[in-house]
Amino acid sequence: MKLILEPENKELEITKVKTVRGLLNKLGLNSTQALVIRDGQLLTPDEKLFPKDVVKVRKVASRG
Amino acid sequence: MKCTRCKAKAVVALPRHNAGFCRNCFLEYFSRQVQKAISKHKMFGPKDKILIALSGGKDSLALALQLKLLGYNVSCLHLDLDIPNSSKPILSLVQKFAARFELPLFVLHLKQEGLSIPKVKAKLSRPICSACGQIKRYYFNQFALENNFKVLATGHNLDDEVARLFANTLRWDLTYLGEQSPVLKAEHTFVTKVKPLYRLTEFETAVFCFLQNIDYSLQACPYSQGASFSFYKKLFDQLEEHQPGRKLNFYESFLEKALPVFGQKQSPTTLKLCPLCAYPTSGEICGVCRIKNICTPHKNNL
Repeated sequence: MKLILEPENKELEITKVKTVRGLLNKLGLNSTQALVIRDGQLLTPDEKLFPKDVVKVRKVASRG
Repeated sequence: MKCTRCKAKAVVALPRHNAGFCRNCFLEYFSRQVQKAISKHKMFGPKDKILIALSGGKDSLALALQLKLLGYNVSCLHLDLDIPNSSKPILSLVQKFAARFELPLFVLHLKQEGLSIPKVKAKLSRPICSACGQIKRYYFNQFALENNFKVLATGHNLDDEVARLFANTLRWDLTYLGEQSPVLKAEHTFVTKVKPLYRLTEFETAVFCFLQNIDYSLQACPYSQGASFSFYKKLFDQLEEHQPGRKLNFYESFLEKALPVFGQKQSPTTLKLCPLCAYPTSGEICGVCRIKNICTPHKNNL
């Protein structure tokens, strides 16, 4: 799965992640610390992820 | 996950309310939280002229749109800080936002006031964030006063308020603890200041912006690295993960039970008007005029 991390605009390949919650756990984020976006839609933590997905993780903390 | 209200597919989960919402129900929830904050603290009425401090971040943009959607009489003021590679793109973004939602926008360029932030940073020995905040508060207040705005609204959210309350509590700063509130009533030549987003987290303002297709600045201020509030926010995120709802409970309980006590303990600070600009100050001249004197010593010297 291709992952785009914002605001860093960093691209990563992630494997062995099956749900949004699993992805956030892998990134060390709580479910309310980032928006998870696929095909222009927000995903809730229970949503399944697939190997061909392109997913954006947009952290929400203000940065000054 | 299904929407708690209408049973459609949810797009957002809010553990603190043990709820999930679809787009429309989330926007309704967001609007109600803002209305609740406004009415509970009697922030302003439908006819009041409201000035919004528009930084270009998600919170101030969400606030401006939500107040407009609620039918309030809002205008926006953006301060151009003149920070290289940062201020120009943010100004452009703010201008596009205001044009799209037909919001009146005023822009004040700090460089024209002799207070370009990089210049201030180079001249001052104290941390730039505190000076920048002081300058912003000064110009937002001055603009509101000069243009007959009754209220200045800022986009501070629940995470901001909880981090600030925690910082004040760690220092047991009785003065700040006695003043921290979603409403600071007008006094001297200070206009009323309000924080209508104080019941909403920054996750929720980010969701609002996403669902309304608002393009906001994701860029960090190049000068803000290591700010202690960011660390406190992470601590409270961990607490919230274990005890959903703790942030709002901590802050609302403070407002209800502790603020009246800390507020009473205050001995009123005697303020006089700055002889250079008439801004209220406890010193000989106000903080911003002091900064101006340091940055451009030939001007404003007493």
